[in-house]
Amino acid sequence: MNLKTMPLKQVSLKSLLAVAGLAAAAVLTVSLPAQLNAHHAFGAEFDANSPLLLRGSVTKIEWVNPHAWFHIEVTKEDGTPEAWRIEGGTPNTLLRRGINKRSIAIGTEIIVEGYQAKDRSNSANGRNITLANGKKMFMGSSGTGAPDDGADPSGQ
Amino acid sequence: MKHLKLVLILFSLTACGQGEQAQQSTSIPFKASGDMKQTMEWVLDPAADHLWGSSGSIITAEGTKELAPTTEEEWMAVRHSALVVAETGNLLLMPSRTREGAAWQEMSLGLIEAGLLAEAAAKARDSEALFEAGAQLYRVCKSCHGVYIHESDSSPETGSP
Repeated sequence: MNLKTMPLKQVSLKSLLAVAGLAAAAVLTVSLPAQLNAHHAFGAEFDANSPLLLRGSVTKIEWVNPHAWFHIEVTKEDGTPEAWRIEGGTPNTLLRRGINKRSIAIGTEIIVEGYQAKDRSNSANGRNITLANGKKMFMGSSGTGAPDDGADPSGQ
Repeated sequence: MKHLKLVLILFSLTACGQGEQAQQSTSIPFKASGDMKQTMEWVLDPAADHLWGSSGSIITAEGTKELAPTTEEEWMAVRHSALVVAETGNLLLMPSRTREGAAWQEMSLGLIEAGLLAEAAAKARDSEALFEAGAQLYRVCKSCHGVYIHESDSSPETGSP
């Protein structure tokens, strides 16, 4: 099954369960509005009420401070490609979770759970990332004001 | 040149302030120019963004591009931004901007430390150390924002960081 660019709130439980490796309970959690913090905080750029589920192949990784960015190409329902950029945690945060800049090769297909940008551009804040082998990892940062959706193992 | 002027102005502000502080205690006639939000957005953010954009890796199908200054002028520009970051820590400690409690002082000093680390890294042309200094800088930013920024006072009028 090919996951398209689907706002999570429009995804049925059945279709979610069909996606290997996704924990339905976690991804269906449309959580509390994010705390609006500041310039670099979650609430300044991303919409806690617009959860997304994206599946695509990695085209570019920006391993930079203060946030790493993963660019993916998603195939839309009509078969056309669509570029998305996903904000991750800081490189050091990702390293502590076992993700380094070589962990995900260019071309690798991944599933990303996150929240779309407030300006509705193809930009999102990533929470969980699921690899083809089913391995799922938290790709965000703690304490940024992102929704308490259960993705962050630190519980912040 | 623009960077150099800004650094010199910041140095003048803080050096003058520290010298007088030793003699006059807390009755120093500082005249802060710009509120906290302006200090963050117009002084600290551009310098921090410059530091963060000067190290790291961009990986594509064509290969990996390591971000780093390549000329003497570019490294010097990074040093300037690093000192702007460090001196902003001093600006935050001025009487008109400081907040009650040890945390503010600690995080302002943390900003100075991160800026100085970045300056030393740029001086040594060490892009890995610059990357680490950038990470430390973000930790300080996040810690401070986590304590001092609240939804209710994040508007420009109140001048919160």
